[in-house]
Amino acid sequence: MRLAMHIPDGYLSPSTCVSLFAAAAPFWYIALRRLKAALHTRMIPLLSVFAAFSFVVMMFNLPLPGGTTGHAVGMGVAAIVLGPWAAIMAISIALTIQAVFFGDGGITALGANCFNMAIVGSLVGYAMYRLLARRASIGSVRRVVGAGMAGYTAINVAALCAAVEFGIQPLLFHDASGAPLYAPYPLSISIPAMMLGHLTFAGLAEFVISAGIVAYLQRSDPELLRLTAPGAPDLHETLLPQTDPLRLPTARKLWLGLAALLILTPLGILAVGSAWGEWTAQDFSDPQARRQIAAASRSEAPPSGTPRGLQHLSSIWTAPLPRYAPAFIRSASFGYFVSGMVGVGLIIVCSLLLNGLVARGGIEQPVPGRRRRKSFVEKTALGLVAAMQEALFAEDMAANGGFLQRLDPRVKLAGIGAFIVASVAVRRIWALAAMLALCIVLAVFSRIPIRLLATRIWLAVLAFTGVIALPAVFLTPGQSLYRLPVLEWQVTEQGLRAASFLILRAETAATFSALLVLSTLWTQLLRAFRYFRMPVVLVAILGMTYRYMFLFLQTAEDMFESRETRMVGILEPADRRRLAAASAGVLLGKTMQVSSEVHTAMQARGFRGEIRLLDELQMRAGDWLRLAAFVGTACIVVWLGR
Amino acid sequence: MTELAFDIREVSYRYNRVAALNWLSMQVRRGERVALLGANGSGKSTLLRLLAGLNFPQRGEISFFGEPLTEARLQDEEFFFRFRRRVGLVFQNAEIQLFNPSVFDELAFGPLQLRWPREKIRRRVEETLEAMGIAHLKDRAPHRLSGGEKKRVALASVLILDPEILLLDEPSGALDPGSQAQIVEFLVSCGNSSKTVITATHDLDTLEDIADRCYVFENGRVAGQGTPLEILHDVALLERTKLMRPHHHVHGAGGAQPHPHLHQHEG
Repeated sequence: MRLAMHIPDGYLSPSTCVSLFAAAAPFWYIALRRLKAALHTRMIPLLSVFAAFSFVVMMFNLPLPGGTTGHAVGMGVAAIVLGPWAAIMAISIALTIQAVFFGDGGITALGANCFNMAIVGSLVGYAMYRLLARRASIGSVRRVVGAGMAGYTAINVAALCAAVEFGIQPLLFHDASGAPLYAPYPLSISIPAMMLGHLTFAGLAEFVISAGIVAYLQRSDPELLRLTAPGAPDLHETLLPQTDPLRLPTARKLWLGLAALLILTPLGILAVGSAWGEWTAQDFSDPQARRQIAAASRSEAPPSGTPRGLQHLSSIWTAPLPRYAPAFIRSASFGYFVSGMVGVGLIIVCSLLLNGLVARGGIEQPVPGRRRRKSFVEKTALGLVAAMQEALFAEDMAANGGFLQRLDPRVKLAGIGAFIVASVAVRRIWALAAMLALCIVLAVFSRIPIRLLATRIWLAVLAFTGVIALPAVFLTPGQSLYRLPVLEWQVTEQGLRAASFLILRAETAATFSALLVLSTLWTQLLRAFRYFRMPVVLVAILGMTYRYMFLFLQTAEDMFESRETRMVGILEPADRRRLAAASAGVLLGKTMQVSSEVHTAMQARGFRGEIRLLDELQMRAGDWLRLAAFVGTACIVVWLGR
Repeated sequence: MTELAFDIREVSYRYNRVAALNWLSMQVRRGERVALLGANGSGKSTLLRLLAGLNFPQRGEISFFGEPLTEARLQDEEFFFRFRRRVGLVFQNAEIQLFNPSVFDELAFGPLQLRWPREKIRRRVEETLEAMGIAHLKDRAPHRLSGGEKKRVALASVLILDPEILLLDEPSGALDPGSQAQIVEFLVSCGNSSKTVITATHDLDTLEDIADRCYVFENGRVAGQGTPLEILHDVALLERTKLMRPHHHVHGAGGAQPHPHLHQHEG
């Protein structure tokens, strides 16, 4: 189950993206300053190698109750081993590489993703760990549980941030007809939808990985836990955990809990009430609120008078209720509550259906005899190989001499960057379609097979964004076009527009970034970053992260393959979880070793903490011209499609 | 008498509780080619790291051309750059040494840190790539190189600074015979230049080609020293230090596979 933790391009408005970048910037600045002071010359190798590790660990399949598997972000572990500031940087770097190379998370949404996961996640995780572990000895169970809770809390708070970012979109940004331009769901739907998955699966995955790694380190590498445990005695007071933190509730309990959450989460939001402000129906008729909204959405007047959808929504659900029902059932709040639950339910149903379809139509090899479920070890090994191949394939593509490949990397970075921003900024569907068409033309001239784009980008984005967008067709209030028989749900014009906006935006932006990656070598991209004045330290760290990512992918794959060949019989779920966490722990141990060795290797060649790079030449007149053409076209599209 | 490049006096070094070097003393003269022989874990790599000024002895002293080599001394920027310019270390694990995104950047790293002018760096990188026969790898990323190529790039990344003293940690370890031969050829060529070369190895086959003098290590001490021939004939020493397994083989009736013997034995 993939969750919307990595926000793709097109879900957030440009102004939201900019403000989240702005919110993240001071944290990055402080983190860099503090790290330079604390780590001196060790900062660059430590951050790069650890970022490569988090990147690889995010690909580990973790066995969860109920036979499912999940992935973890690992911000809890990062904060525990590195401290919160280094964790902020390491995870931000890992997220950047994911966004640029593997299309996990958007480029314009990078600030938002870093803010939610790297910054909020690390700080919350660290606080939770320190709070729970206190002065417990290094080897105590308390640290294991503290670590698990740190991971669990961190991912959930991060998810809540993302949900709020999604939830404020439809209110602030919609076109003249009231159709949301970005993420289409109000807070009443976005929060429960996000939290449901994270309070259960993703949260558990995070719990398992954090607790498991810390338990592993206690035995094999307790020194790594020292940094964030000042004054803790290192005696193994409690030798073996009494209660095993990796023994999680069984599937049935989990499903019951899930059901409870489905009901409780919207209630919780109602309790908070209009603290979220703008999203109550009345606000639309309140002149002051209207002015605020108008200012926020580029002085375009919000739909006047009628609190269109919002009031309408409440009436959908209250109408069929008998008149003598208690007043609160007929209230707008109740309408929200019900629509929230239906929205969440719809999203879940859609994703289950699509998962089933994709699994059946996918490249799954037919297994002779009985159908066998792939073990998590196998799944992880396959995932690691796939990531490596994908990256190598992109490098090969970038070496063939098509149109985009021959462009100066700086022109490409700025030019395609302008188009990605444009695809997020425009407010007309035709403009998005035109840009998608432009992508196809560019791909043809760059000898990038359209089939590749279709399977790797378009279908993948459709599977993910489609699931999220489809329910919006029914849930977005507005002019009714069609009524589903039996269910009586109405398809609204605004809903259709909202869904197409979301899908087209996500597709267009993803295609543009795919074109950039498939036509540019990483080393050239780094030079381009440098040209656009990205700090030398960051360029150096990004380069080193990418380089060690391959080493760790290879190491992890070897590890899992050798495990697989030695596996006899079926492991208990708790043992499987322990195995996964121990593998991550082994990799973490190697990571720290590699980082210190790389540091000495750098010193041996004269490194004293200040990195220097060889900057490449100047842009020529022709390059400027091409750049102007790219950026100019993007600007025209934004202007016409405003 | 020629100048002493390194003078190592009663040096001890331990990792946490494990001793790596024990009261070790030895001297390396300028222009000499020295081999450090020893089984895994006998302290060769540790010594190379001390000589490269990456770790510092907990007891004893090392001097470099008469100057003490200490942590405090290396804080001095002028000494630091002079030392790094003159001493180059090629690590055993090329993965560790190749930390840059491309071969070109890898070679440029050292000169950039030592603040050479940029034009000179570009020129030297091209020259070194040519000289080492790796010009075709220039824009490759390290994860796209074979084991032998990695080793050569690692060597090139150190040689670009043209250090007087070259420290090599198992330069031909884990390489196929072809790549090994290239590295050995290079080390032989060093014999004709004035370079001081200290090589840690447990490969006895190439010993005579790469060294004028050998030290045999055992548990962080010097167990024996001499010219390569002297050492190769001291079978008892080699077997005791696990550099050679007790010699067992049968010479077939027809002598189907004649092979050279470094030592004499009956039968």
